[in-house]
Amino acid sequence: MKAFQQNLKKLEAADTQVLGVSMDSPYANKAFADQIGVTFPLLSDWGGDVTRQYGVYVDKYKAPRRINFLIGKDGRILEEQIDRDAIDPKKIVDACERKKLSR
Amino acid sequence: MKRKGVSTMLAMCLLAAAIVCPQIKAQGNKPEPRLKLKVGDVAPDFKLQYFDGSDDKDVSLSQYRGKSNVVLAFYIFAFTGG
Repeated sequence: MKAFQQNLKKLEAADTQVLGVSMDSPYANKAFADQIGVTFPLLSDWGGDVTRQYGVYVDKYKAPRRINFLIGKDGRILEEQIDRDAIDPKKIVDACERKKLSR
Repeated sequence: MKRKGVSTMLAMCLLAAAIVCPQIKAQGNKPEPRLKLKVGDVAPDFKLQYFDGSDDKDVSLSQYRGKSNVVLAFYIFAFTGG
């Protein structure tokens, strides 16, 4: 999440809203956001309905996988980053900036 | 009292890390299972909440339709890295 925060200005300049999602409570997420200095919303998928809907729920640890989806203005998925690759958002930042240039 | 709270929280973080880290490591050794949703698919709409410090706020994917791109970053637990 910190890596997104570091790139937030670039992403916002490319019309991109960042939303974190986990199955923690809204209050745990708020405390987490404050602790690591994240200013974008960390959404609470309590119960995991959305996590399952997106197919990223892992039964073994009862939590989502570490996945980033970049969703375009038309609602379609433009990029996916999975597990370890999802920690560095460079691919997504680059994709957003490319889109911005191509407009 | 406050100090105790901090050390309890720290202990919980360490515990969470101890549980999660070996699993992440194990996961790295396996070939990646593919995702259900593929590039080009329509992302399912949702409505979720976050707490902004004073109120619970609703956020839906559809509110960004036609206005901005959205990065949905699923993460495993609060208070873990990545």
